[in-house]
Amino acid sequence: MKKTLAAAVAALAMAAGPAAAQEKVVKIGVPLPLTGAEAKFGEMEKQAYEMAAEEINAKGGVKGHKISFDIQDSGGKAETATAIVEKFVTINKYPFVVGEYTSQCSYSVAAVAEKYKVPYLVVTGAADKITQQGWKYVYRLNPPASLYNLGVFSFFETVAKPKTIAILYENTDFGNSTSKAMKEYCKAHGIKIVLDEGYQAGAVDFKPILQKVKSERPDIVYMVSYLMDASLLMRQSKELDINPQAFIGGGAGHTLPEFLQNAAEASEYCMSATLWTPQVKYPGAKEFFDKFKAKFGKEPDYHGVEAYAAAYVTADTLKRAKEWTPEAIRTALAATDLMTAFGPIKFVSWDQFTNQNRMETLVLQVQKKKYETIWPKEASSAKYVYPAPKWRDRK
Amino acid sequence: MTPQLAGQIELFVQVVIAGLLLGGLYSLIGLGMSLIMGVMRIINLAHGELMMVAMYITFLLFSLIHMDPYLSLFVVLPALFLIGAALQKYLITPVMDVESVLPQNQVLLTVGIGMVLSNLAQMVFSADYKSVPVSYASKTIYWDVNVGGQTISLSFNFPFLVAFGIAIALGAALFLFLGKTDIGRMIRATAQDKRAAAIMGINTKRITYITFGLGAALVGAAGTLLAPVYYLYPAIGGPFTSKAFIITVLGGMGNIAGAVLGGVVLGLGESLGSVYISLGYKDAFGFIIFVLVLIFLPKGLLGKSSV
Repeated sequence: MKKTLAAAVAALAMAAGPAAAQEKVVKIGVPLPLTGAEAKFGEMEKQAYEMAAEEINAKGGVKGHKISFDIQDSGGKAETATAIVEKFVTINKYPFVVGEYTSQCSYSVAAVAEKYKVPYLVVTGAADKITQQGWKYVYRLNPPASLYNLGVFSFFETVAKPKTIAILYENTDFGNSTSKAMKEYCKAHGIKIVLDEGYQAGAVDFKPILQKVKSERPDIVYMVSYLMDASLLMRQSKELDINPQAFIGGGAGHTLPEFLQNAAEASEYCMSATLWTPQVKYPGAKEFFDKFKAKFGKEPDYHGVEAYAAAYVTADTLKRAKEWTPEAIRTALAATDLMTAFGPIKFVSWDQFTNQNRMETLVLQVQKKKYETIWPKEASSAKYVYPAPKWRDRK
Repeated sequence: MTPQLAGQIELFVQVVIAGLLLGGLYSLIGLGMSLIMGVMRIINLAHGELMMVAMYITFLLFSLIHMDPYLSLFVVLPALFLIGAALQKYLITPVMDVESVLPQNQVLLTVGIGMVLSNLAQMVFSADYKSVPVSYASKTIYWDVNVGGQTISLSFNFPFLVAFGIAIALGAALFLFLGKTDIGRMIRATAQDKRAAAIMGINTKRITYITFGLGAALVGAAGTLLAPVYYLYPAIGGPFTSKAFIITVLGGMGNIAGAVLGGVVLGLGESLGSVYISLGYKDAFGFIIFVLVLIFLPKGLLGKSSV
């Protein structure tokens, strides 16, 4: 114990560095994809972490220390993320690791954190399996992918009552988890799955598979895509004149501000599961959105607010931790009960999940080229349009 | 004929059309790489990144002065030609001249060039996804055909159709250029035997600059044509480099007609495979074809290497 303590003290001293001798700094390791296909999200999250750190430090920091996030580029590659975290833990001796973006990377980082017994807060990686391993040092701020659809399910039960569905999903941990939950729900509720296809992200032409969707005439076309595939899917659906009652996305790609620009009129009336919109009633949500937009000149989506909330959870944990060792930080993290701009954060365990935050999810719909929250009703900012008008009847 | 059968035929024909149109674009990407491969005997692993540069030029012209992407070809082609020629002259040729432990270190150099280009793009444009939202991006031409009493409705996406047409035109122009002009003949001579070409008085260095420039311009054209139907971000080049590589090997390294064929085969393979086998393995089909060709037709589909 003495040894770990000494190591932690040494780590803090080292992290502070000679330049900041008078000003004490506590550093937290954050791997993020700053280059590669997911760089856009990495950048957004980096800005959110830094914005939060500024705010926290302006209010006096943590126990007399300034908080600083040591953000390193993983390029969205699991091997690189693993190497970065190995370095954080063994060389930098950071007692706490936060972040990463994709499910694959988060999962790999979680395994490293567990191996070295260093607490790790998952911020956006959504694959169910990350918190289903019984890992003791892994905590997750965002809900697991299988729960992203809760809002959509309730919308189905109350309003849509669909009979048939076509499911297209990206072949990744996130796509598999989210679509699996949808498939199980459909089977349990007698909704016929007429098409169930995984696809490779980044394809240029989805028309062949959409042609197949069209021939099945489903009530709902449900798509899970992380990146810009979402907008190509919508544009090409419009082109092929596919007219289900609704197009519904499983979050991520369908909630990006770029989705509205790239898909343009093809995005109209498209719905999507989401975790957060600036219209939610949590304290600080709207302020975060406005401040981020003013500061960086672009709109954040739910990934930005997740990172922002993660920074506050980190500061809160460090404040409550008796000492800054992995063990003490883990104990403090487990006892988290904090209201953030993203929503209330509390880690619980149920079914196979451990140390998992649980929250309500929403449904949004593009109306007049803007995202509106349409479900649940109490949280809605506009009334849903269902069924969506046929492409040819629009204008 | 039953409606079910007609539906099946419609799906099949539509998928073949999609594959062919996509193949046209792929051909253009492959042509540039094949040309460079034929003359310099190196694989240009910055090929996709050059396409990315062209896409950003198209994007800039569109967002700043609202220039139509097809019109911007007149800017992109010369710009990429100059960039390509400069890369060859100032970076690749000096490395080729040096005797080194690694015989293929120019290939490594192209990897480096690719990284620099994509990171520069990220510095300048940030990692955001951009698009060139032209009004005709999802414009579609429908064609109803009567087959055995059933109507089959086929659709052709306008930008893809235009891209296909321009790809064919550029391919034909390249053929004529290589076959009929003096510079074209010099390029072919250099590809056949560099030393002999030099003895005949051809300035082979200058030919390599021109060739790299041409290759870059061709893939640049592909980038510009892709911009209205796709989206762009700094790391977009990687997957297209590997596609170009597959096409080049399929067609026989350095074989121009082969590159066109390779592109069409890849486009068709991806489209048909994704409908009749599984969309999740779309990229795998390209590589499966690639491995099969390497095993059974090591010289490519057309069997000979000739620029």
